[in-house]
Amino acid sequence: MKHNYYLAFLVFLMFTARSQDTVKVASNLTPEQLAEQDYNSGLAALKKNECAAAVELFNKSLLAKPNFDKALANRAIAYIHLKKHSEALSDINSAIKLNPQNPEFYFNKSLIFYDLSQTDSQAVALDNCLRINPAHAEGCYYKGIALYGSAEYDKSVEFFTKAITANPNYVYAYNDRASAKRAKADYAGAIADYEKAISLDASLVFIHNNLGSAYRLNKNYAKAIEAYTKALQANPNYLVALNNRGSANFENNNLKAAQSDFEDVLKKDPKNSFAYNNLSSIAIKNKDYKKAKDMANRSIESDPKNGPAYYNRGIARQMLREEADCCNDWKKAYELGVSNAKTFINASCLD
Amino acid sequence: MLRLILFIDTMKKLLLTITVLYFSFLSFSQSIEFEKDNFPGKKDEMKAARKLLDIGTEFYLQGRKEFDDFKKSYMSEHRYCPVSHYDYQKAGYQNFRDALSPLSTAQAFNPNNARLNYMLGFISFITDPTTPQTLKYFETAYKLDPLAEPDMAFWLAWSYHLNSRWDDAIKYYQIYLQAGKKNAMEAEDVNKKIAECNSGKKFSANPERVFVDNLGTAINSSFPEYGPSISADEETIIFTARRDNSTGAKRDENDNGYFEDVYSSVKLNGKWQPSKQLSKNVNTENHDAAAGLSSDGSKLYVYRHSGKDGGDLYESVLFGADWEEPVHMNKYINTKYHESSVSLSFDGKRLYFVSDKESGLGDRDIYYSDMDVKGEWGVSKNIGPIVNTKYGDEAVFMHPDGVTLYFSSKGHNTMGGYDIFKTTLVNGVWSAPENLGYPINGPDDDVFFVVSGSGSRAYFASSKTGGFGEKDLYKITFLGPEKHPLLNTQDQLMAMAANPVSNLKVENAVEVASAKLTILKGVVTDAKTTQPLESSIDLIDNDKNIVLATFKSNSSSGKYLVTLPSGKNYGIAVKRDGYLFHSENFNIPDNAAFQEFTKDVALKKIEIGSTIVLRNIFFDFDKATIRPESANELERLIKLLNDNPTLKIELGSHTDSKGSDDYNMKLSDSRSKSVVDYLIAKGINTSRLVAKGYGETKPIDTNETDDGRQNNRRTEFKILEK
Repeated sequence: MKHNYYLAFLVFLMFTARSQDTVKVASNLTPEQLAEQDYNSGLAALKKNECAAAVELFNKSLLAKPNFDKALANRAIAYIHLKKHSEALSDINSAIKLNPQNPEFYFNKSLIFYDLSQTDSQAVALDNCLRINPAHAEGCYYKGIALYGSAEYDKSVEFFTKAITANPNYVYAYNDRASAKRAKADYAGAIADYEKAISLDASLVFIHNNLGSAYRLNKNYAKAIEAYTKALQANPNYLVALNNRGSANFENNNLKAAQSDFEDVLKKDPKNSFAYNNLSSIAIKNKDYKKAKDMANRSIESDPKNGPAYYNRGIARQMLREEADCCNDWKKAYELGVSNAKTFINASCLD
Repeated sequence: MLRLILFIDTMKKLLLTITVLYFSFLSFSQSIEFEKDNFPGKKDEMKAARKLLDIGTEFYLQGRKEFDDFKKSYMSEHRYCPVSHYDYQKAGYQNFRDALSPLSTAQAFNPNNARLNYMLGFISFITDPTTPQTLKYFETAYKLDPLAEPDMAFWLAWSYHLNSRWDDAIKYYQIYLQAGKKNAMEAEDVNKKIAECNSGKKFSANPERVFVDNLGTAINSSFPEYGPSISADEETIIFTARRDNSTGAKRDENDNGYFEDVYSSVKLNGKWQPSKQLSKNVNTENHDAAAGLSSDGSKLYVYRHSGKDGGDLYESVLFGADWEEPVHMNKYINTKYHESSVSLSFDGKRLYFVSDKESGLGDRDIYYSDMDVKGEWGVSKNIGPIVNTKYGDEAVFMHPDGVTLYFSSKGHNTMGGYDIFKTTLVNGVWSAPENLGYPINGPDDDVFFVVSGSGSRAYFASSKTGGFGEKDLYKITFLGPEKHPLLNTQDQLMAMAANPVSNLKVENAVEVASAKLTILKGVVTDAKTTQPLESSIDLIDNDKNIVLATFKSNSSSGKYLVTLPSGKNYGIAVKRDGYLFHSENFNIPDNAAFQEFTKDVALKKIEIGSTIVLRNIFFDFDKATIRPESANELERLIKLLNDNPTLKIELGSHTDSKGSDDYNMKLSDSRSKSVVDYLIAKGINTSRLVAKGYGETKPIDTNETDDGRQNNRRTEFKILEK
């Protein structure tokens, strides 16, 4: 998943990071003009995702013109693609020094910090970008993400809205604003935004999936199942939506359909930890605690960090009279972030 | 006009009753009388059976008269009908027992006689109303002739009631009510039973989630076991049994059972060890029953019935491994009436008990008595009408959390007989009692319920099927509200964020109240010899500077157990003559959940070089000002110095490593001087005291953690001369 994300991130950088425009080159080439020519070649390589070649070309360009801020900025981007963050940072800082009023440089710097998960530094860079250009669409968008990450949902919605105002076709901003609204339990608002995002680009399966989950939270299971099904029609191998549709069926008390969905996930991915855990949930609901334990075991075997699987196995073990083991499972679930396991620990495991 | 309406209404009811009975009667089989025409060719057998019927009937009628007389007397005394079948105390039992054999033989010859089945049903009800046989006799009798006896529907209804067949019970109670005029007390009784069935229906539709486990053969036997008491840490159980090895091995002629003795068992590696009778200090040849145990397991309350009174309470103290001879409790507790069931507050300062003395609100009531300054129990007070009812209220158990009281009552919204209830003391007022629900409670008597310190388990006695015989002791494990499974779901909420997976909560968790209680236990030993020591343990409220309670560690094992309800800053002082006292501090916030600490204490003899940490001396933050909550600890130190006038001590103050060395040295110097100044002001000679600041130079724990730093910040005293 991290790998997928990284690819998406690279693609995003290609389109959103402010790579500097081509420079016009005169016929009689001065060293400066040569630098600009190399710069243009480097930019072309960068756009083709030939990052190592791009770096070489920007190097040449900078040898000829050391204060070439655009070359520095674009070489920084190439370095990000090559996972050379310190070089990238050094270049972007040099570019900023040369041209401190360019909001794009700050924005690119913020993305470097974003990729390094250095949220505080990312926030400073973004603030500098937005100080220079408060209507910077991507700047506002990433500010919205950062605020979402620190659970400041009201402010997050505010910045996604600014991004949408700056770019009314900003699909991701609609999706993310929907998610921020969802976090505020404004499910109707979230559904409207997800639907708007889908109207702008119906091919993005994850937004159908998000829409389904918003409907589920709003307890409209029929619409949830419809949205997940649309995601699956667009991509039948999108197991996330299949698992979630199973969950919607489960919550709608259609355990047979839920079981079928989870089993279909396992046919395509026999080690899918989530599907095993969800089958464990069905077994608990059916009071078949032996099976519930078995399914949770398989889930944990596939993913030893699946907190809900420990939580469910704890429930099964309590009913199977394995008191000490059930407490250990709830403690593990709590460690893995399942906060309501604490209630069980307090009630049954403190002595 | 009003009279006319009432007349029409009465006629309507009468007509309805006649119609119901008429059609009911049509659907019944015919009762077969013991007449020769009904048994052609069996003249002699019929004659013999008839003779047995007459003999049995005579015994039955004698028994029934005793029963009815008992009921009449009960109603006259209590002003209401007996509520539980146990209230009848097997009145007429001897005659019923004599009637049983001839009537059973007659019934084998003619199983279709309504009155005979009724009599057998009645005898069976008095013997054990919950057996299937009881219900079968009454059902047969009713089917053969519902009018054979005027109260047939009532006993059938009560049998259904005791079998948790709520709707059937309500139906026949109502038929009984409608079939003729009842006096006010009888009508009240039947209406109460209908209400009990409605409660039973409600509670059994939403059963509590519990595991109920028999405590096993280490505790239970084929004889009756009941009246469990449990220490707060669930390591000791004390109960009553009527076994064939009871002291004197005599039987009580009233019910032919062996006399009661008190037994105990301890848990080893999580398993109950075979139970043993307490010594002859406690058990006599008469009835000796466990009436309660203090939460630290050091005081046992025994119920004895000498015949001169209605039954009295005695207190026995654990000395070493044995219980001392129980001492009759004073006149404020014991009266000429029946006193039973005791529970002590966690600090041992308030005693809850049950008595049926005249001043009560009804039958048995719950009272409390506070300990006076001399350590004597004072005038008892009724706990009040929120808890006590006009019906019986029994088996009191005050949880060591200091606020939750469990008791059994035949009033409130019981499902029948005694049910177990819980009430909580909030701002000095008891909350409305809450029925603990089904299956903890049922239609029969549910009494003697004790809850573990953690609140997650309880112990009680029951005659439920599947036991080892008669009543057995059971453990209840509370499972709390139903736990809903957690699904794994995935969303990519931020289109560009690196957190595509999220675990969503399907449903919020239900809050199970957890006991706000800390158990502190351990062993007190001699620091040098490691031999267990008997010592006194003061529990101090540091905020109020008062000694809440004083406990003792066991003289042979050195074990102690103290329960500390949440919400206080406690000081603990372990003391013994000839030894330096040992102090601990426990600041337990109000929201702290149940926890258990083990703290073994090694007491040091008063010897040159001995050092002791004074855990309950507090200073203002970053200052040398002694806080008022240190008074008790300082008073102990003053007493030690006064009791040992030749002692010369050093008061040493230590800091953690936060702050500069210089600053810490100065602060510790000032603090040790503050303590010395305090002692001088209280009359201790200056020449006996040396103040010394050590700063951060002598840590006893790590300075990397909060706990470690807290241990390092301390005041110590060291004996310089003796």
